[in-house]
Amino acid sequence: MRTRQLLIIGSASLLLCPMTRAQAGARPAAGQSLSVAAPSANADNLLHAGPAAWSQIAVKRIALNRTPPLYDTDEPATLEISSADVRLARVSGKLLVQLTWRDPTHDATTFAEVPNTPPETRFRKVQTEADDRFFDAAAVMFPAKSGAGVIAPSLQMGDAEHPVEIYYWNATRGSMVMQAQGRGTTRRTGQSFPANSTYQNGQWNVVFELPDLPAGTTVAFAVWNGSQKDRDGRKYFSVWQVLE
Amino acid sequence: MSKHQYAMVMDLNKCLGCQTCTIACKKLWTDRDGTGYMYWNNVETRPGLGYPRQWDRIGGGWKDGALQPSPLPTMDDYGHAWEYNYEQRLYEGKKQPVMPSPEPKSGVNWDEDVGGMNEDENYFFYLPRICNHCTYPACLEACPRKAIYKRDEDGIVVIDQDRCQGYRYCIKACPYKKIYFNEVTGKSEKCIFCYPRLEKGEVNACAAQCPGRLRFVGLLDDPESPVHKLVLVHKIALPLFPERGTQPNVFYVPPFNPPKRENYGKSIQEDPRVPLDYLIYLFGPEVKNVILRLEAELKKTQEGGRSEALQLLIGRDAETRYRIRPQLVQIHL
Repeated sequence: MRTRQLLIIGSASLLLCPMTRAQAGARPAAGQSLSVAAPSANADNLLHAGPAAWSQIAVKRIALNRTPPLYDTDEPATLEISSADVRLARVSGKLLVQLTWRDPTHDATTFAEVPNTPPETRFRKVQTEADDRFFDAAAVMFPAKSGAGVIAPSLQMGDAEHPVEIYYWNATRGSMVMQAQGRGTTRRTGQSFPANSTYQNGQWNVVFELPDLPAGTTVAFAVWNGSQKDRDGRKYFSVWQVLE
Repeated sequence: MSKHQYAMVMDLNKCLGCQTCTIACKKLWTDRDGTGYMYWNNVETRPGLGYPRQWDRIGGGWKDGALQPSPLPTMDDYGHAWEYNYEQRLYEGKKQPVMPSPEPKSGVNWDEDVGGMNEDENYFFYLPRICNHCTYPACLEACPRKAIYKRDEDGIVVIDQDRCQGYRYCIKACPYKKIYFNEVTGKSEKCIFCYPRLEKGEVNACAAQCPGRLRFVGLLDDPESPVHKLVLVHKIALPLFPERGTQPNVFYVPPFNPPKRENYGKSIQEDPRVPLDYLIYLFGPEVKNVILRLEAELKKTQEGGRSEALQLLIGRDAETRYRIRPQLVQIHL
């Protein structure tokens, strides 16, 4: 009986082996490389510079994919945002990433402060405006252990041996640094990062200030469309790209 | 399943719809930014729209072991907060009457005391509602963040505010729509069964403040507790919408009305004021047996006997109505 169990476990682990390898991801294919400019501006200027300053930098159009329905009770979603444009610049020891994408619906808000009264004494409270709206967002993900030759982690937020860092920006809630070791493990680190965003003519333009990542590092991008009730893994995602 | 399970029984025959429980809860827990529309405890008139309106028809819960779909209720379903134009009326000399703005179209007690018609007669009763702290919580299953958990020591279902990312799958999954989203914090919130009070030996705020003394609190698995006796021994309290599959731990003693006319000596089954079909809709077919049991207990006392069940329902003092076990609590760090 015990031998049989061992045999079953043995054959199961054989079957699992290729899956584990597949989960860890493969080396991105050729054509998935991103060139990084080295402009003379400093990081702070470029972060707040308008599209004109960025237009000097080479752009790469990246295809976005829609995640399949994650839960049985999820409503289906169509592909409304098929691509995003990426520009990268290495300045003052930082990697600046400009992500632009077309989104006709501007899903963001600012919370009104009740003026001139300290929170503990004010009579009126900040209202919840809606319980059913979701906000536009974007993220850049890269391996926590970065560097040339490192195999790209699973696109599903890495795994235990291949943790990932996620620089997440939300149109309403600002920026936050997250870490994950596989799907469902994403957690906020409590840190934020410099980011700048504008929304004009149906287009989001978000600049992320990342720590400098060496050439050969893989990065992936995600976009959430609030009007499509995007949150969680319900989103648009790119495959891994390699920094040149 | 948890080691123990706190439960509440509410005797709907004693609820006067005064909303003291609602205010007790609101003052204690939801007097913060982003919680304006939140009523962890609300009292709605039945039949009626409920809060959020038509929550009982939206969806959620379990069927054949699978979560059921549901849209998110909208702010229109909860009702938008409004202000009055006092400035214009009182200081700017405008002649129009004081008006609310935006125009109210729904609210937490929008259809209070409207009720329904039973042939030619109006009827209604009040239904106080909190989170049911279900044995099989659909919200817990639906949360991909695993932010919702059921406390092992007492069965109370809570949302970890650190893990919650405000995805709102829980709100969709809850068939009772008793989870609310706080857009200011970006996290979902719900009734916590006043666990910090229970841990100090104090009963839930809604129960403590209830002038009708209709709430009974204790452990369902404690044979000495009033909830154990009402639910499992006398079998006169039922959960709301049992068919939704979550196994609620809040139970109701159904409205036990006298007949519509010539009430004395007549069975309430003959000429019920509240149509039995409506009670079956809320509490399932077992409600008929519960009403028969209550009727039998009443008959016993009318004939000079003593009914332990009715004595318990009268619940003269806190010792009768509550049995809190703070010693269950472990230290959470």
